[in-house]
Amino acid sequence: MTAISAPAIPAPALAARIGTTIRIHLANPWSLVITPALITFGVFLLNFAIWHAVRIAAGDRPLDPNAFNYNGGVSWVLFFMTVVAVQSMNQTFSFTVGLGATRRDYFLGTTLLFAGLALGFGTWIALMAGIERATNGWGINGHFFAPGFLGSLPLWELAVVYSLAIALMLAIGSAAGAMFVRWAANGVIAFFAVLAVVVVGGVFAISATHSWEAVARFFSERDVIDIALLSIPITLASAGFAFIALRRATPKG
Amino acid sequence: MTAVIEVSDLTRTYGKVHALEAANFAIEEGTICGVLGRNGAGKSTLMRLMTGQDFPSDGAVRLWGENPLENAAILSRTCFVRESQVYPDGFRGKHVLRAAAHLFTGWDAAYAARLVEDFRVPLDRRVKKMSRGQRSALGVVIALASRAELTLLDEPYAGLDAVAREMFYDRLLADYSENPRTIVLSTHLIDEASRLLNQVVVIDAGAVIIDADADSLRGTAVSLVGRRADLDKFAAGRWVLATSSVGGLGSMTLEGLSDADKALAVELGLELAPVSLQELVVRRTNGSNASKEN
Repeated sequence: MTAISAPAIPAPALAARIGTTIRIHLANPWSLVITPALITFGVFLLNFAIWHAVRIAAGDRPLDPNAFNYNGGVSWVLFFMTVVAVQSMNQTFSFTVGLGATRRDYFLGTTLLFAGLALGFGTWIALMAGIERATNGWGINGHFFAPGFLGSLPLWELAVVYSLAIALMLAIGSAAGAMFVRWAANGVIAFFAVLAVVVVGGVFAISATHSWEAVARFFSERDVIDIALLSIPITLASAGFAFIALRRATPKG
Repeated sequence: MTAVIEVSDLTRTYGKVHALEAANFAIEEGTICGVLGRNGAGKSTLMRLMTGQDFPSDGAVRLWGENPLENAAILSRTCFVRESQVYPDGFRGKHVLRAAAHLFTGWDAAYAARLVEDFRVPLDRRVKKMSRGQRSALGVVIALASRAELTLLDEPYAGLDAVAREMFYDRLLADYSENPRTIVLSTHLIDEASRLLNQVVVIDAGAVIIDADADSLRGTAVSLVGRRADLDKFAAGRWVLATSSVGGLGSMTLEGLSDADKALAVELGLELAPVSLQELVVRRTNGSNASKEN
């Protein structure tokens, strides 16, 4: 009995294998694309309704011109993206790798898809901000898609800032999701425990060294887009961490 | 002869649990191999290791001579379907088939559609809402329509009714004869599946205790019926798997009888009957009853 030598049939090209992972993620587009978009739009509609409610309640009294300028509603989509990433990694990893994809192809496909999602959603939000500006804040000087300090940014910068922010949230979600796939609930608990220690430790260090002023200066001296660019190393580190965790993860079932 | 699967000293421990202990066997191209054993014997662990889904603690698996771990060339020729396959929450049957079509290079969509009809898989239903049998049927459709050169099925028909199981055996054999490939099948329903198998690997408590050609295995054990005294006389010094008796009559399952032994038994007035594969596996994996009679 002899083992046959190397397989005669080559594997499908890397691009095709990565495409397979992306198609599996999108076989049911609701969780990754439609739901986040609908929810963002729904939160916007609710805000729009509240603005009108406030206006009606105000009656003849003049409103502060900035009344509807500070709104955190759009940040909702950012945090939702973390959940989306955790969920989709948990659900598709076991399915895709369970049916015979390699972990590497799964990771590459997922990462590419998430990058595309970040760019897509970032651009979409910037376009909505463009409509918001063109319509004088939806007719009532409301600012949902580009509130506060984002109001003065050119649209392309807005798209870059949002895309990078969403990419960061997806990458953090991927890292947490990979921890879950690899070490189940304990992995996620450990992930967020470490994250909390890092954040609180950072806050403590800044306070202990009386550096808050320097930190404030650091951010106020820089353009929003430059600050957004600073997220790239964190995003890449999170993605790299997700890959390391997935390397030895086993599909459930 | 060429081995598609070679398992050498394969060991998997989870903490203190030895799920698989130094397993050694090979499966040749074109074989339908049954992996049999009791619950928790290590069948699923073995199949997960064979498809690079789990990591060996020691030893190695070779598919076509290569390590399957993270090996896209090997895995793209392999299809592994298990009873406990996890499906994404929102997935309906049709989403699963769409995904399978992308994953398997040899996917036959027309054949899949026929199987879906035969097995009555509700493609528009969410997989989560399907009955156990429907989920199993979906798995069977994937395994058959993948046309993968190496197809592994772990407990493929949990929850399938008798009609669907019969259909599974028929379709599997029909497709196997048209598109020969290597099939590894783990199951509890040994007698039902035994007509499919040409190799049998039996695992008990993490150890491979039988690795044999199915036909030769069927001939190895014999059941003898006769007077208790004659049975005892014949059994002395032979390998007895099981005994039972009522009054002065008894029956005995013995292994390793030569033709001369069988002739002797007949001379003693004992009746010989073949032992089914299932009975043999039950006897062999039910350690306490098997003993060497003195």
